[in-house]
Amino acid sequence: MKTIQTQIPEQVYKKAIALVREGWFRDEKEIFSEAIRRFLDTHRPELMEKFIRDDVEWGLHGGD
Amino acid sequence: MTSNGAFTVVIKSTLRAVCDAGPIIHLDELNCLDLLIDFQEILLCDRVWKEVRRYRPLALKDSDLSFTLLPGGIPGNLPLLTMCQIFMLDAGETETLSLMEKNPQAIFLTDDASARLVAEQMGFKVHGTIGILLRSIRRRQRKPEEVIQILIDIPLKSTLYIKSSLLGEIILRTKGEFDL
Repeated sequence: MKTIQTQIPEQVYKKAIALVREGWFRDEKEIFSEAIRRFLDTHRPELMEKFIRDDVEWGLHGGD
Repeated sequence: MTSNGAFTVVIKSTLRAVCDAGPIIHLDELNCLDLLIDFQEILLCDRVWKEVRRYRPLALKDSDLSFTLLPGGIPGNLPLLTMCQIFMLDAGETETLSLMEKNPQAIFLTDDASARLVAEQMGFKVHGTIGILLRSIRRRQRKPEEVIQILIDIPLKSTLYIKSSLLGEIILRTKGEFDL
């Protein structure tokens, strides 16, 4: 496991802590780790590249 | 005006656009916010308006653009709402997609990959800042040379992150298209 140090908005942190207090997660680290994993799942490089390439085609040759 | 003295009239697109904060912020950073004038109407939800006002306060103030502000709300379509939650879209993106739900013929402008993925799954037409910039050549809002310079400036002047090799490829492609 890699340890990182970062800053997050106070409100986000409070919401994460509330989830831990309510017993939905072991600790805030688990929440942030899960959040990053999900973010990475939906930001795959090949997908982002596809979107940009679609934009290029539309921009240069779209019919609107 | 063309070389023979005639005027070229470009008719405004009939497209309406529902806009997320990203393209407004990025276009403003690149001094290209005026490109949105080509759209028939630009719809923004309150939350996106506030987000843009927070990050680029002058963008909305000094611009000649007129935005139509609408309350976003939560998507009424359950699959859409569920996808927004699964993909952890923020409130602005979710409300913008709620606007798209009410205006499905509009084009959704976003630079967020997750929001775009959800929108495409819903069958909406989606594009981002790069598309709008390149479209401006086709719509005769900018010359190809100007757009190439704007593309070169993206890493220096904007917070739009794009893989440098891909950006280089787009610049080369654009140059090739216009024999530059």
